[in-house]
Amino acid sequence: MAIEIPKSLAELPTTKPRFVGRGMRRVEDAALLTGRVQFIDDLVLPRMLHAAILRSPLAHGRITNVDTSRAEALDGVVAVVTGEDARRWSYPAQSSPDGWGVHCIAGDKVHYVGEPVAAVAASNRRVAEDALELIEVEYDALEPVADPFEAMKSDSPRVLDAQESNVMMDRTFTWGDVDAAFSQAPHVFREKFRWNRLGANPTETFGCISQWDPMALDLTIHGSIQSPGMFGLGRAASFGLPSNKVNIISQPHGGSFGGKGGTRGCDISCLLSRKAAGRPVKWIEDRGEYLLSGGSQAWDRHYDVSLAVDASGIVTGLKVILVDDLGATGEGYGAISAAKPLAAFTGPYTIPVAQYDLKLVATNKLPCGPYRGMGPPPHFFVLEQMMDIAARTLGEDPAEFRRKNFIPADQFPYTIPSGNEYDSGNYDEVLNQVLALADYEALRADQVRARAEGRLVGIGVASAIEPGVFDWNAYAIVGMPGTGVPEGATVSIDVLGLATVRVGFSLEGQGQYTLVSQLVADYFGYEPEAVRVVQLDTQSAPPSFGPGGSRLGVAITGAVLGACERIREKMSRVVAVLMQTEPENIELMDGKFLLKGAPGAEMTVAEVAGTMLARSDLLPPEIDPRPEATHVWTAPGRTPADEEGRAKSYLTAAHAVHIVQVEIDRDTGMVEIQRYCLADDCGTRLNPDTVEGQTEGSVVQGIGAALLEEYVYDADAQPLCTSFMDYLLPTVFDAPKIEMVAVETPSPFTPLGAKGCGEGAMHTTPAAVMCAINDALAPLGTAAREVPASPNRIWKLLDDARGGAESPDANS
Amino acid sequence: MTASPPSLKIRLKVNGDSYESEIDPRMNLADYLREELALTATHVGCEHGVCGICNVLVDGRTVRSCLMLAAQADGREIRTVEGLAEGGKLHPIQEAFIEEHGLQCGFCTGGFMMAICEMLERNPSPSEEEIKDVVGGQICRCTGYNSILRAVNSAVSKMSASRP
Repeated sequence: MAIEIPKSLAELPTTKPRFVGRGMRRVEDAALLTGRVQFIDDLVLPRMLHAAILRSPLAHGRITNVDTSRAEALDGVVAVVTGEDARRWSYPAQSSPDGWGVHCIAGDKVHYVGEPVAAVAASNRRVAEDALELIEVEYDALEPVADPFEAMKSDSPRVLDAQESNVMMDRTFTWGDVDAAFSQAPHVFREKFRWNRLGANPTETFGCISQWDPMALDLTIHGSIQSPGMFGLGRAASFGLPSNKVNIISQPHGGSFGGKGGTRGCDISCLLSRKAAGRPVKWIEDRGEYLLSGGSQAWDRHYDVSLAVDASGIVTGLKVILVDDLGATGEGYGAISAAKPLAAFTGPYTIPVAQYDLKLVATNKLPCGPYRGMGPPPHFFVLEQMMDIAARTLGEDPAEFRRKNFIPADQFPYTIPSGNEYDSGNYDEVLNQVLALADYEALRADQVRARAEGRLVGIGVASAIEPGVFDWNAYAIVGMPGTGVPEGATVSIDVLGLATVRVGFSLEGQGQYTLVSQLVADYFGYEPEAVRVVQLDTQSAPPSFGPGGSRLGVAITGAVLGACERIREKMSRVVAVLMQTEPENIELMDGKFLLKGAPGAEMTVAEVAGTMLARSDLLPPEIDPRPEATHVWTAPGRTPADEEGRAKSYLTAAHAVHIVQVEIDRDTGMVEIQRYCLADDCGTRLNPDTVEGQTEGSVVQGIGAALLEEYVYDADAQPLCTSFMDYLLPTVFDAPKIEMVAVETPSPFTPLGAKGCGEGAMHTTPAAVMCAINDALAPLGTAAREVPASPNRIWKLLDDARGGAESPDANS
Repeated sequence: MTASPPSLKIRLKVNGDSYESEIDPRMNLADYLREELALTATHVGCEHGVCGICNVLVDGRTVRSCLMLAAQADGREIRTVEGLAEGGKLHPIQEAFIEEHGLQCGFCTGGFMMAICEMLERNPSPSEEEIKDVVGGQICRCTGYNSILRAVNSAVSKMSASRP
């Protein structure tokens, strides 16, 4: 019998949900706050060694000699590995696009600053780092390439010897008659934009303990790993091991935001463990390593965008040319960040045709990886500015210009030109709510007064879609195989009636264990604290991807409710036997199995479980006596991508409108955020407190992207930001008070109507802040088209607008 | 060749317990607490003194334990996150962080709590500016700080309510 997952809170077997849909304390917090949660660096295994990695100081060079003899002779050093070991014992990294991976330790050539060239395992980290200083590496420097436009030229230095050029991919995707739309449009707007490299920077860097068993030829890895299942497959590929010989135990970890990285360091620790005869080897990436060479960097983009608009102000076409600098290799899967915008290419608008000219280019910089939002945040940064350019030129209010281009509420499910289907939405209502929250008319009136005083005050209105519940098919254009991303959970009830849920992912910060306990508590009538959530390793867990792509809240809800449904069905049969009736006469409500039409004839969940496990003699043999079930949920109705990349990919489309007021200091170029308001709609809110937490955190990450964060490289591809003194993360002084209002348009396709919401505001905030900055600058006839809009960049624009009088160049 | 420098003896108190250890002179306080005493609630975020995640109290003052040598802690009194909850009861600051969702991944939270603990012990009713000043000394990547500010305000009222 097919399992029906409740589509709304009303379908849960309870008179009134006590926990789901309400904010509540998180079950994980007490352990986190008292230091009892074991992060990877807290874990010590018997006979464990500590690794340190020697890294390339050159962006591009031939390795002519590596001498490790003095390091090997140091007291406490147990194993040293070089590129030779990597080539003997491992394969080049898997990559996207395919064929752009290299070995985990450089062999003949280094491709970026920070690339590993050797590594040591020793009795402690201090000795391991001492040993690195004793390793001598000789290089012949090669000319590096740091600029993707230079890298695309035929005479450019080639980053990878195995490739014929630095162009990883060059393809144009066309959805509809774009040429006609642009040739017929009375208004065509075109602008260039630059989004500089930035990245995740979770407060805990990557770490792992790897143990190679030389007799069984298998690998056991503990680590701060976001997607343990995928990570395990990657390691099996690195070492040519059968996939069931790699077991991943993901420790709770200190955030990830997609950018935990760690695959190279993990492979190196595996090599070291093998060389150390199977002793466990711990590698903890330090912050300098993370910033220089970790999973830290994403989205190094040059955009050239055109918008076609008809005489009534309706947008009729969008063309995006993207040159995406992915760095030296494809091992970080940065390419999928360029593919993901297909899931929401035209944002919340009815734009009927679109084109994406995508150039993925290799340079001698750190390979790009994922970051929260995975690509659409820069895409909406450009789309929303194009909307403002059009509105400003046509003399329309930016909020109302967006409104008339919104997909109407009665058009859902709505298929966008790039193929994805949006599940539901009410964009007008979201806009109305935020306009009221911000008192938009009053804001505009204040702005008029401020401008009259000569102040640079701007208001940004931006609207974006958060694709939720990711699917591999969204990344088909860059070679990712498969459709559907299953997530499983096992719910067990013990002989005394208490519930344990087993899942395949670890704590990361989004509060999913709390969500699991809320669901089971409402389903079977428990208190959330009474529901235990246990994490399994990859060889024990049901199929699981874990957090990522704004999916886990929805996916784990489907898995847990599916397992609960299966237990209910099984228990109904047990109760029917005991009450000498048919299962369809038995109903679960508020933790009790009731015989319909017979008040008082009931059994509690605990009584049924106790009967199944302690009086199984009462059950007929065809009834499985385990009050336990596993359910594996996957998004319904997904379709493989066609030639042009079109697919039903991300299952949900959450929507938000943000309104930001900024003021720019004319003397310093500093941007102050004076007001931050937002309305968002991510369907049913399963735990409104944690949704708000995700939103607030994501807004501040978005502010970091808009104003602060940038990995600067010089012209020789030398990184200049290798500490938190150079890479600026937002502090409390950069975080405005955030005013929020929620709209709830349930998804018709998901468990309880919830939508993915974890990546959230990052989709909208950078766009909103930039729109506000450009609104402030508009009277000066200038505009910022590059993030971060740091004070030096804004000051330069202000100075140019003044005629460049204060520029140092002008005085020379 | 040998890498081991001469060891050094230190005596100190951590969360009220006395310790005497032979240590590598170059070992920092964070590593000492974590590796030698297995007090792993002190987390390390950047190892260059910016993020404040490794904050501990040394004689009542907030210190980046990644920037202080263990040798410098000789004769001092250290307090760490392990010392906040007493007798199986959470400290009001910890309660406040739970109530206000002042944490997500929880990796940085100890550093915030120790700095806030110092502030509230010195000044039970800090101004909004003083609170921001103290919270501004640490980095959190998850919460966006609003909920941390709410947690501090809640801790202020909890602690003032519990005072006679």
